[in-house]
Amino acid sequence: MAERRSGTEQRKSTGIGFADIVREHQSMVFSIAQHFLADRPAAEELAQDVFLQLHENLPTLKSAEHVKFWLRKVTAHRCIDYQRRRRVPQISLEDAPEPAMPTHSGDPFLEKRVRRFVATLPEKPRMVMVLRYQEDMSPEEIAEALTMPLATVKSHLQRSLAMLREKMTRTIGEVVI
Amino acid sequence: MNPPNQDMNRFDELLKTVLRRAEPPSGFAERVLARVEQRPTAIPREERVPWFHIFTVPFIRWAAFATVSASLIVGTVHYRNVRRERAEGEAAKKQLMLALHIAGSKLQLAKSKVVEIQVSRPNGEAEKNRSRSKS
Repeated sequence: MAERRSGTEQRKSTGIGFADIVREHQSMVFSIAQHFLADRPAAEELAQDVFLQLHENLPTLKSAEHVKFWLRKVTAHRCIDYQRRRRVPQISLEDAPEPAMPTHSGDPFLEKRVRRFVATLPEKPRMVMVLRYQEDMSPEEIAEALTMPLATVKSHLQRSLAMLREKMTRTIGEVVI
Repeated sequence: MNPPNQDMNRFDELLKTVLRRAEPPSGFAERVLARVEQRPTAIPREERVPWFHIFTVPFIRWAAFATVSASLIVGTVHYRNVRRERAEGEAAKKQLMLALHIAGSKLQLAKSKVVEIQVSRPNGEAEKNRSRSKS
């Protein structure tokens, strides 16, 4: 109880309010949802819901790191739940939507292709990949966030990478990568 | 052909580029804050009173104490009644078994007497017939 109070008071004293937290983490939460769902409106809706849940639970979170960990965890679980509720079976490459993401640099065609490949991965491996490559999280951190054994996370990573590499090599060719 | 490690690094870099963070649609934070404002003011979790705090009210505390005491008394009385009835039942069962045992042994005795009489009667009748023929 004392720790809980100190967390809230600390936030009040440092002037970090809910609005600041939203602005600080909106990109992280939205991107996890966007990369996982490959659906921009759904990702925005889900990200908003995550922040509303955060607003309710804010007094229980003790530090900025705790808030960040909580946001990643809740976003990941909500994304997986959303996907299951939508009852979308694993999509084939041809049916995968074109993710509406602006290309940063390099080959836009290649980036689009890779996004489509990622979208075809099963739910949990896809989330592991998103957390690993978007958030640069270690396998241990991913295991903790997804409440999953470390060995499973490593296995998902290895298999997904192998699968993506194979698809890339088959469709685009070894020259590109 | 590239060495495997170099390929791996390039592939990792490609994935990092593809899965880099993206900016949310403009006005995202404002929309979140507006939704928070629109929601009915929920009591913050910190301020929520745990359910057992109702026992701080003297009347509730006494009522709960009385209910628990009454339940204990009723339960004890009921339990003793059940035990007494069970003991009575056991005793009645024992008595019945004894009565059946006695009745059984009496019947056995009567049966043996009847058999004994039946065995002895044919000889008596033969003697009677012999005396009749002599006369």
